[in-house]
Amino acid sequence: MSRLQGGHIDRNAPLNFSFNGQCYQGYQGDTLASALLANDVQLMGRSFKYHRPRGVFSAGSEEPNAMVELRSGARKEPNTRVTVTELFEGLEAQSQNHIGPLNRDLLAVNDLFAPFFAAGFYYKTFMWPRAFWEKLYEPVIRSAAGLGRLSMEADPDSYDRGFLHCDVLIIGGGAAGLAAALTAARAGAQVLLADEDFQFGGRLSSESHTLDGASASEWVGQTLAELDALPNVKLMTRTTVFGAYDHGVFGAVERVSDHLATPGEGVRQTLWRITAKRTVLAAGATERHIPFANNDRPGIMLAGAMRSYANRWAVSPTRSDADAVAIFANNDDGHLTALDLMAKGVNVLGVIDPREDAPRLGNYDLFAGGVVSGTKGRLGLKSIQITKNGQSQWHDCGALGVSGGWNPNIHLSSHHRGRPVWDESILAFVPGKDGPAGLIPAGAANGQGSTAAALAGGKAAAQEALGDLGLAIRDVVLPEAEDAEIAQAAFWHVPGKGRAWVDFQNDVTVKDIDLAHKENMRPVEHLKRWTTLGMATDQGKTANISALAVMAELTEKSIPETGTTMFRPPYTGVSLGVLGGGDTGSNFRPRRLTPTHHWAAGLGAEFVEVGPWMRAQYFPKDGESHWRETVDREVLAVRSGVGLCDVTTLGKVDVQGADAGEFLNRLYANMIATLPVGKVRYGLMLREDGHAYDDGTCARLAEDHYVVTTTTANAGPVYRNMEFAHQCLWPELDVQMISTTDAWAQVAVAGPNSRALLERIVDDLDLSNEAFPFMGCAELTICGGLRARLFRISFSGELAYELAVPARYGHALMQRLMDLGQDLGVTPYGTETLGVLRIEKGHAAGAELNGQTTPTMLGMDRMVSKKKDSIGAIMSRREGLSENTRRLIGLKPVDPDAPVVAGSHLFAKGAAQDTHSDQGWITSACFSPHLGCHIGLGYLENGDTRLGEIITAANPLEGQEMQLEVVSAHFVDPEGGRLRD
Amino acid sequence: MLIPHPLLGLRDAQEFTYLGDASLMDRPDPTLDNAETAFCDYVFMRDNPAGVHRELWFHEQGDRSWLVVTRNTITHEILGAELAKDLKLNRKDAQ
Amino acid sequence: MTDLTPITALGGTSARVQKFGALTISENTELGLASLSLRSGQAAPSPFGLILPDIGRSSAIEGFAAFWTATGQWMIEADGQADRDFAKALKSEAPQCSVTEQTDGFVAFEIESIDGAGPINDVMAKLVNIDPLGFDEGSALRTGLEHMSVFLVRRSAGHIAVIGMRTLADSLWHALSTAAARQNT
Repeated sequence: MSRLQGGHIDRNAPLNFSFNGQCYQGYQGDTLASALLANDVQLMGRSFKYHRPRGVFSAGSEEPNAMVELRSGARKEPNTRVTVTELFEGLEAQSQNHIGPLNRDLLAVNDLFAPFFAAGFYYKTFMWPRAFWEKLYEPVIRSAAGLGRLSMEADPDSYDRGFLHCDVLIIGGGAAGLAAALTAARAGAQVLLADEDFQFGGRLSSESHTLDGASASEWVGQTLAELDALPNVKLMTRTTVFGAYDHGVFGAVERVSDHLATPGEGVRQTLWRITAKRTVLAAGATERHIPFANNDRPGIMLAGAMRSYANRWAVSPTRSDADAVAIFANNDDGHLTALDLMAKGVNVLGVIDPREDAPRLGNYDLFAGGVVSGTKGRLGLKSIQITKNGQSQWHDCGALGVSGGWNPNIHLSSHHRGRPVWDESILAFVPGKDGPAGLIPAGAANGQGSTAAALAGGKAAAQEALGDLGLAIRDVVLPEAEDAEIAQAAFWHVPGKGRAWVDFQNDVTVKDIDLAHKENMRPVEHLKRWTTLGMATDQGKTANISALAVMAELTEKSIPETGTTMFRPPYTGVSLGVLGGGDTGSNFRPRRLTPTHHWAAGLGAEFVEVGPWMRAQYFPKDGESHWRETVDREVLAVRSGVGLCDVTTLGKVDVQGADAGEFLNRLYANMIATLPVGKVRYGLMLREDGHAYDDGTCARLAEDHYVVTTTTANAGPVYRNMEFAHQCLWPELDVQMISTTDAWAQVAVAGPNSRALLERIVDDLDLSNEAFPFMGCAELTICGGLRARLFRISFSGELAYELAVPARYGHALMQRLMDLGQDLGVTPYGTETLGVLRIEKGHAAGAELNGQTTPTMLGMDRMVSKKKDSIGAIMSRREGLSENTRRLIGLKPVDPDAPVVAGSHLFAKGAAQDTHSDQGWITSACFSPHLGCHIGLGYLENGDTRLGEIITAANPLEGQEMQLEVVSAHFVDPEGGRLRD
Repeated sequence: MLIPHPLLGLRDAQEFTYLGDASLMDRPDPTLDNAETAFCDYVFMRDNPAGVHRELWFHEQGDRSWLVVTRNTITHEILGAELAKDLKLNRKDAQ
Repeated sequence: MTDLTPITALGGTSARVQKFGALTISENTELGLASLSLRSGQAAPSPFGLILPDIGRSSAIEGFAAFWTATGQWMIEADGQADRDFAKALKSEAPQCSVTEQTDGFVAFEIESIDGAGPINDVMAKLVNIDPLGFDEGSALRTGLEHMSVFLVRRSAGHIAVIGMRTLADSLWHALSTAAARQNT
């Protein structure tokens, strides 16, 4: 065990876990990384391309190497970074991306073929022979590619979403974030402090620095206690703010129960949408490394991470206490690792620093002007080669900490194309001034690296936010803290022969960048795509700047001249489960149930999704073995008796006002204002471009009161367009409108016996043809006083009505009609029968009104009134539209047993079947039980003058071809006697 | 995005439906001699500038008001929002 | 009186009521609703003595309440009048206005807390993108809730009504009850 003294772990709470089947023990407060290191496990995985043995490289979310498959079964989660995985009792993890045991990966052979896998190898290698791609290359690459494996089972956990609002959002709870939170909170602002870690403190938890002469954790504890007690502060750990969106909106994921063995009843993660008036970006900084030959061995890690493991988790990075640790740093900060390790009793080999004038900060061996030029140890570091003054020497070494300086975590500041600015004094990019409005960078994220500077920066940022918000500032006294200036050299990599890794996860080396330079892939955008640098799951957090520096060296330009790194959300990976939200299965999206849904379900109806609606599709009876059998029965029942169908889904808009008639005149192509009270009229709406948009009925209930109906699909859009027409075109008209779609259960009562059935429930309305003729409407009462509306309209071509009652009575109304109509042959029917009935009658529906049809094609051009202005009227008379000769016609197969296939295209008999001779298409088709054969509707050139002609319908997709007779679209009762009697 | 609704203050853009160029409010006079040409322009010719743009947004999950929002399409900065109905009435009064 | 028996928006014969820790959600099946819109140039009436509220607000008197829905438009609520022709009664109070029956256009869920504003604010945060702190007693607005359009009325610090489309009652209940249940886990 390489456990040291101290640390922020609870030694009274041991936790058992396993890695690759081996059982280990850690403590509450450990990450999987710290617990594995404490158990002397250095080798944790294999690299993506070369399958090089890899260990943990960082102590945070930037980890490129140490990724595992976490948990098992359906909860197995591949590519999980061990550095951010909290240890829990019973944790199971498996290393990934190897065949055979981790220490003897068969795919490590890739490493021997490395010369073939250089930058751009995909583009070069697999181009020929062409036939090999599908047969050989792709299958081989597919089986070798990827890292961890999915469980292929459904995710058993729940995910949630929510919305948070605050005056000041503070991203990051380290020194700067805590100082900002304290400042903003004491001023009374609504504060939201979020940190991706499971405890606040940031680097304060990883450093040995004191605050006010005491351990930093004391100040952190006091500050958190004060913040926690304030009602205007919300503290969120395990919460990654992953993206900055417009106008102060941020996306964040809270890992609610990722740290538990199972989430139980609770949710796994919550996606928060945060709206903040001001935001302090105090996301800290990420250490960068210095590429040198064979710098990717397990045991080599960032020097700052090594301090985290020692100070926070009390873990030595070596496998054995006897092993020495070396530090390779181009800056003073790296030297602190040596000091902290020595203070914990770790054997330090020394600090290698390329600066000739490197300072010695403590009692350790200093190799000033030296570099690490090579390493040994296949599965874990054994020795390093130090080169100084041209002399190279090998030293035994169990772990190496590397520090190439720190990169501010500017990511969110560049999410709105904010361009980072190079700061030569700290050799790093800092946030520019053109970042998201209202976002104030602070602390290490703003290049303020010392503890004192971070605290002051956080306070100043909060004060700036408070000033913007007009809140009075109350002073906050910050603790005394170290304020060392960090000297560093612009030393970016160690030149030499061996492979020096820049991007560990995607196996991109300095040589690859060199090759990209030689092949003229020099702009960073090209470099990235040619080498795949920064394109792995870690998005190159530890690699990008180093790569930029190497390219700058090759092009002999400065780093800012060479390019910059821009970021897009997400900051770190976000699971699809939480983005998708918690609702799955039948709750995937809202479902609208008709007022008679439960009645239909009780009868065993099959349902169909129609947009958001669940509609009864057909009502099978015992003994019916095929849906067609059911539908044929329902159709014939309507035509011979009476049928019932819920048509509530049609949109209904209540239109009132002194100018209601005039308003509707301008919306509908045909005349509406002349409609008498107590009457219904069919109405056709056009788009302003002259094409048919929607149709429905318009009933006039009073001089200044209409109810219009829309198709089911267009209910929302038509209502929206009506508001547009009123507010944006004709606001001077006195019109008020409101949707009443849900308020009324509307039932179609259709068939020759419909009047007889309705007569049994109306209280005192004369339903005789004379008193209540076709296209009449009335407000009435039924069943002993229930208010209702009755419309005599027909979609089926039969004598028919639509009856509306308050929605809560829809269920009971259906039951009553069924009870009272037994002797009349009453039959419930669904959308299938509705469709057959309207095709038999030749009524246009969605398939005919597909957005490309004109009033002329529908045979309705004369309906477009020339006596008034209406939306689309002018454009409908355009040459191209009015001269369109396609007409809606009916189609019957010559062979009565042949099917008619919707979508087939129509051709003159014997004509070539190509676009040039295409004469139209079949819009709708069904089997007509009334005619005993399949029928169809379609648009055909000059169709109205070709009745009786035999034409060809072709469906080349299915290799079908059939002969059809052109007939009237009105297969049933073309004179319309039935609906008028 | 947040839309500064003239009556309701900052409201999330998800409550709105977007339509586009506010010139759609300027429907031509159908009695003009060249009405068809004017309508062709009205229906098919839209500005889509990279920069400041006046556009129609409908507060569908709100008070169902149509707004004319002035927005910089590059930065998404919103420079103002007005009720379309008021704008149109004022314009008609001015005529 | 009709001899037909109504069902609730959730398809039951009685209102659904369920307790989730400090929160209780009940289906308010007795609420009569009608919309009232001013015609051009009209001044706001005071139906039943109600002062029609300003933008984004609600008002209430014994038995009746109103909330603002749009410029010149309000929804009027009448306790216990779901089975009467409330629109007709309202029209007789404001004969010059446009009145539309809305009782069955909507389902009203009353969410009440026994622990003050906290649980209400917390459950709001999981449901709607509205700042609960700015949505104080007497506030009313329409917004989106899981892709559904709903009215929210803050009847008191510890009581909010969510009024959504009736045909979406099941989906709305699912959303509300799931959020309320998760508060206790």
